[in-house]
Amino acid sequence: MTESSEPLAVQLGPLRLKNPIVTASGTFGYGLEFTDFVDLSRLGAICTKGLSLHPHAGNVPPRICETPAGMLNAIGLQNVGVEVFLSEKLPRLREKGATVIANVWGDLEEDYVSVVRALEDAEGLAAIELNISCPNVEKGGMLFGNSPQATASLVGRVRAATGRPLIVKLSPNAPDLVLSARAAREAGADVVSLVNTFVAMAIDPETARPRLSFGTGGLSGPAIRPLAVRMVFQVARALPGVPIMGIGGITDLPDVLEFLAAGAAAVQVGTANFKEPGVSARLVEELALFCAQRGFRPADLVGRAHASSSVKLDAGAEG
Amino acid sequence: MLDLPGRIRPYLRRAYSVADADPVRGEIELLVRTIGPGTAGLEELPEGSFAGLLGPLGNGFSLENLSQTQRVAVVAGGIGAAPFPLLFRALSQARVRADFYLGGRNAEELSLAARFEGVVPGETVLASDDGSLGERGFVTEAFRRHAAPARYDRLFACGPMPMFAALARVVSDLRLPSEFSTEAAMGCGFGACLGCVIPGTEKPFLITCTEGPILSPERIAWEKL
Repeated sequence: MTESSEPLAVQLGPLRLKNPIVTASGTFGYGLEFTDFVDLSRLGAICTKGLSLHPHAGNVPPRICETPAGMLNAIGLQNVGVEVFLSEKLPRLREKGATVIANVWGDLEEDYVSVVRALEDAEGLAAIELNISCPNVEKGGMLFGNSPQATASLVGRVRAATGRPLIVKLSPNAPDLVLSARAAREAGADVVSLVNTFVAMAIDPETARPRLSFGTGGLSGPAIRPLAVRMVFQVARALPGVPIMGIGGITDLPDVLEFLAAGAAAVQVGTANFKEPGVSARLVEELALFCAQRGFRPADLVGRAHASSSVKLDAGAEG
Repeated sequence: MLDLPGRIRPYLRRAYSVADADPVRGEIELLVRTIGPGTAGLEELPEGSFAGLLGPLGNGFSLENLSQTQRVAVVAGGIGAAPFPLLFRALSQARVRADFYLGGRNAEELSLAARFEGVVPGETVLASDDGSLGERGFVTEAFRRHAAPARYDRLFACGPMPMFAALARVVSDLRLPSEFSTEAAMGCGFGACLGCVIPGTEKPFLITCTEGPILSPERIAWEKL
């Protein structure tokens, strides 16, 4: 493709996307649920629901509740399993012209590697995204993301198992996000995506019981956006040159621009897909119009907040 | 699913059943009881406001194979009566007799019955927990008392989960084919978020928004609720 036919194209290491608008795993099903609302071929990419080696039932309800400017979820990674994804979902996604990023999770390192191997020969997958940051399962998930050593070990093994572009989705609940990002990068991640949901809780004041059966859940939506922007900024500053996908409460074009300015080369739209199922396609159009009017390419917008910044990243908390 | 655009409280859409619809005028009616930020947001909207509507979603009550000689029971708990004006109209047009059992905590909650005057093609039985209007006690028990002599062929119900759990036992005893319009907190309404599941008998979870919301009680694993 020539540049003129894809004016919004972005390059994240080995991964080229036709535009920087991606839908976030867990908020976009397998993409096929959205075909009434979105032409999937228009999106930069879609991230699938987290895939495991075997089908997974997920947590008992209640699984979601609304919170101020967002929601809590503890779905528990319910999914059809990698085999059904390959036989039933991926062929239909190919027909729709979708750029597909397979999100992968497991309980053990071996599980991740097995899923990635199962996906390795599949036609029409643009990249793998490792979920090392889900807060809603008993084992695996976030445990890999909470320790740089565990992150490095897992990413290294998966790196050896796949030739595809590898994205590692980081947890904002990790003790030090920069250390996690560095560990993922040094172990072979091409791209880091951040952030997954924040571990949080809501309690029904009448019954004094948690609103979710899992007890805690992952907080998402506009409520977390400033936290996520700070984290993207922080990782971008600490690890210049590492491509970042920014995630956290993106709903409108200014939110996209905010994440790009903080240092993300692409963004993932999450919870907003539930409220407005066509939001991802709308953002592609709005970004195209913005770039055409201002004479920008998306890459021109990445990291601009760093140029003039004298931000002291450790100072905010005390202030 | 109804969206109040530009608002962050409520943030997510809310699921409502359509109480009645006029396709000629392009109007739908919702019956709403204000219980939280979603319904409060709707109540606060000034007349003439815009709201985003995504729908219709999910399945409907099945009226196939119902004949004029058959008799239907419709059981509602409180605002669970919301989908029934439209159902009663369809049953009336099909000339099927349907009795309406409406339960609530008290007379005030049963003021909803006024919406159903002249709408029900059969008897209306009211029941209140405190006995302040109609028969005293749960609507499921009122239904059980009337059901044996009435010999219903089918039951449609909508209400809170505890009502459904009790009603599931009653219809099982009566071997009465039934459809329950279930309710769960929904994130999206079209099967993407998987937030609205309920435990199933033939598989771990049923997705309320796409496989329901209308489900036969034998598909629901009541002991896991």
